[in-house]
Amino acid sequence: MSEPLENARSGISRRAFLKGGSVAAAATALGTAPPQLLADDPPSAQPAGNIVAVGPGPVQIELTVNGMKMTTKVEPRVTLLDALRNHLDVTGCKRVCDRGTCGSCTVMIDGHTVYACSMLALEARGKDIRTAESLNADGKLDAVPAAFAKFDAQQCGFCTPGFVVSLRAALDKNPKATPAELEHAVSGNICRCGTYEQMRHAIASLCEQKKGG
Amino acid sequence: MAASWPKKRRLIGTKIPRIDGPAKATGIAKYSYDMNLPKMLHAAVLRCPYAHAKIKSLDCSAAMKMPGVKAVYVYNVRTDGEFVTADAGANVLQLRIGATEDAYNQALKKWEEAAAKAKADKKDPPAKPKEPEIRRIQLGPNDYVFRGIAVVKLADLKPKDKVTVDVERDAVGRELFYAGEEIVAIAADTEERAYDAIRAVKIDYDPLPFLVREEDVLKNPNLKTVAGGGTGNAIPSGNSTKGNVTAGFTSSDAVVEGTYGVNVVCHQCLETHGLVAEWTPEGGIRVFSSTQATVGTAGAIANRFQIPATKVKCVTQYMGGGFGSKFGGDSQDFAAVDLSRRAGAPVKIMFTRADEITTAGNRPSAFGKVNIGGTKDGKITAFEIDVYGTTGSGGGNTVNLNLFPYVYVDSVPNIRRIHTVTRTNAGGARAMRAPNHPQTCTLTEFAIDDLAAKLGIDPLQIRLAGLPDSDPNAMKKAPQSWPALRNSIYKEEIRRAVELSKWKEKWHPPGQGPDTGPIKRGIGMALHTWGGFAAGPNEAKITISRDGSVTVESSTQDLGTGQRTVSAIMAAEVLGLEVKDIFVKIGDSNLGMSGGSGGSTTLPSQGPATYLGAIAARDDLFSKVAPMLGADPKNLEIEPGKVVDKTNKKSWTWREFCAKLGMNEAKGTGEWSQAKANEDPNNSLSNGQVGGVQVAEVSVDSETGVVKVVHLVAVQDCGMIVDLLTTQSQVAGGVVMGVNYALFEERIMDRQTGRQVNPDMEFYKLGGLVDMPKITVEMVDMPERGVIGIGEPPTISTAAAIGNAVFNALGVRVPIIPLTPERVLDAIAKGGKV
Repeated sequence: MSEPLENARSGISRRAFLKGGSVAAAATALGTAPPQLLADDPPSAQPAGNIVAVGPGPVQIELTVNGMKMTTKVEPRVTLLDALRNHLDVTGCKRVCDRGTCGSCTVMIDGHTVYACSMLALEARGKDIRTAESLNADGKLDAVPAAFAKFDAQQCGFCTPGFVVSLRAALDKNPKATPAELEHAVSGNICRCGTYEQMRHAIASLCEQKKGG
Repeated sequence: MAASWPKKRRLIGTKIPRIDGPAKATGIAKYSYDMNLPKMLHAAVLRCPYAHAKIKSLDCSAAMKMPGVKAVYVYNVRTDGEFVTADAGANVLQLRIGATEDAYNQALKKWEEAAAKAKADKKDPPAKPKEPEIRRIQLGPNDYVFRGIAVVKLADLKPKDKVTVDVERDAVGRELFYAGEEIVAIAADTEERAYDAIRAVKIDYDPLPFLVREEDVLKNPNLKTVAGGGTGNAIPSGNSTKGNVTAGFTSSDAVVEGTYGVNVVCHQCLETHGLVAEWTPEGGIRVFSSTQATVGTAGAIANRFQIPATKVKCVTQYMGGGFGSKFGGDSQDFAAVDLSRRAGAPVKIMFTRADEITTAGNRPSAFGKVNIGGTKDGKITAFEIDVYGTTGSGGGNTVNLNLFPYVYVDSVPNIRRIHTVTRTNAGGARAMRAPNHPQTCTLTEFAIDDLAAKLGIDPLQIRLAGLPDSDPNAMKKAPQSWPALRNSIYKEEIRRAVELSKWKEKWHPPGQGPDTGPIKRGIGMALHTWGGFAAGPNEAKITISRDGSVTVESSTQDLGTGQRTVSAIMAAEVLGLEVKDIFVKIGDSNLGMSGGSGGSTTLPSQGPATYLGAIAARDDLFSKVAPMLGADPKNLEIEPGKVVDKTNKKSWTWREFCAKLGMNEAKGTGEWSQAKANEDPNNSLSNGQVGGVQVAEVSVDSETGVVKVVHLVAVQDCGMIVDLLTTQSQVAGGVVMGVNYALFEERIMDRQTGRQVNPDMEFYKLGGLVDMPKITVEMVDMPERGVIGIGEPPTISTAAAIGNAVFNALGVRVPIIPLTPERVLDAIAKGGKV
């Protein structure tokens, strides 16, 4: 489900962070802004050329979430998922497997679906991050969650925002997607309550709506 | 007059989308996992890495000094006693343990009198009361002393104060019985720092011998690696006989011997176990807990911390799956509450995925050697099973492993069962969606199809011939009871399942289908039953305000079952309103009595309570408003959106009518329980015991061993359907869970390390959308029976039906589920067919 994100990523991998406390990122090479170091964040190494070192202490970051600019301080090892949930109180993306299997943390980054547990918060700076909460902007319920509610394609609902974001992204990419294509779009999402049959009903109705419109 | 459901139902039984659907689907709904309170700390848990070990040493002082760390909690080191004396300078105190000084002196006095009397009577003197032990405790830097709920300094203690002391050193020597057992929890300002601190705990273990596989327990009868009685890990459990099995086999036309098995599966709740706990300024406790029982969880916490239950509030607004594993009073509940009082801040503990799978519940396995005998007319004459299964290191044999061929229990004349619990060094079993039934169903239904094959008949013939008769006595006395209906319910459900699955067209003798290529198709059936009665006292309070708004309040919880929605349906039905007009306030232990949501008891308990409460509120409204309108309350009735005086056809809109309440409001409380239901056996509000028939159609690739379920027909009754949409969801969801444990799910324990090798979601497999069959749900609505729970039954027979369909496709039995490609190919190789 998760598409290759070479373009979306800023070249810092979670693995590299997990290996060491700090990491140097070739920031300008990828056209992203270097991390902003604050006065009270002593740099762990001197910036040299276009290489900027951050961490291991907390770094101030700004993320654009559902169109709003939000700032917080996180250690460089913090995932986008944990930054959203623990630091910014954006909890529509759920932590379930925390290792890129279940899809419950799916968010859109610049229109692509991403497992937020498998991306560092620092990597998401300067990107357009959209979570399930954006699908109820200004009190107007998006067609995908509306279909989930109407056909009862959810029970406990913990996986649902992930499914909904995956489908929204697939429909944005191809508004004429077939039910089979939409089923494929959620093959990276897992539901435990077993709402798949109802989800098929919701998907069928979304495809019908597209035909009608 | 006994209350009954309305004859004409406007909302009940229709398809109504759940009222919290949009909130959940857009991520706005806040689960316990999502709670972020001001100044909240995050806790991480250190767990035993060995399958069996003793703690040799423990030192948390380095962890305590890690950045951001606010409190440390060591599990299982609690000492309760009476304060005797202390040396604050040396940090030493003495506690009287076992009994207080006063209690001991009183007991001593009583004993002296009794001893003197015994001497006079020339009888043996009674045993002298045991003198309380005085324990001298040297406190370490991470040790805590509590008086009541507060952490206290030694200098502030007075003699005879009741105190609780947690001494880290007391963990030394503690025996740990599985990899994952909890040892220390640490709270820090960020989650990352909490895990850093856990890594800084200095701990040494003495590893001990372990057994993690059921068959190894049987091979080592004298090796004991778990706590509890017995010389080994195996304990006999629940043997029984009925009739004469030998005679039954002698009178049969064919006997089949088979060994079948169901592996351990884990609950895999997507929202892991956990909570946020905080102490309120009034000395109470508030928790946001992912629990199936708000009242039970609050009670367990109140009991543990010795504060009044009314001062504990357990909130569960949204819950991310429990399936029987989340009834509260768990070790993490106590750890979070205790860390919170030590740190003076809210504390969140949510399990990691690995912790969830290894420690937070699983379903016992069952491996059984079965002999079944029957006659050509499809009658089972004898059934014999010798079965074992594991409940892990804990759980004993309590998790409902009383295997029996349940649906047919009354009609099989001769039965023998031998059952052994093989305890292993793994996480303890917990109740899981229809405890015992899926295993029993699989082990029985597999044998039935194998018997049919040997007799050369369609297994449908055995299923029909083996159905228990309806009880003529019950048909007279309680015509809506299960004994009165069981035969006709199953017959009707089998009829519908046969039709919907095209059984007559698709069934063929096992392995003799028309397919000539490697892909073989087959069809299989299985039956199930479940209770779904009401439980203990459940209350619902309905308030009608003068602006016409209606609130339903109850402490019950919505696990994703749709309880919030059906509560609204009940009130809306009675008050002539729509579901959107009802505000349902649930998931708060302070809102009256309710039981835990287990055993499919919630709706049969809450449904009638809410309905009765709404009727009481309506009557209260009528009696308060009627005099102001010059009407007689007896003549008023509700029509959709309005109140009508049936004598003169005068009517008021709902809002108009409620506005007459002025400064008042109308209220009603309803209560329901199984005890109330039992008061009148002909009450039509709730009932229990359902049937259910499932038919699976599969295709099996005999070259790769991959099984694909093509179509699954689930025919199900549950008395009166309240919300057809969410009921169908429950049934289809049960089927999906069944497909998962039939084909994919299995806890795999490693003999070498004693650890689970798949404590995750990539190797512990759950199917996705594309893995699932088309599911046809057929509901048999029986409104005359009243409400019956539906959570559990639909997951019982799915795997048995799938296994039988695979047998029908291949002509060889794949005896152990999940039916992985490896097991399918292995069975084909051994079966020599296809």
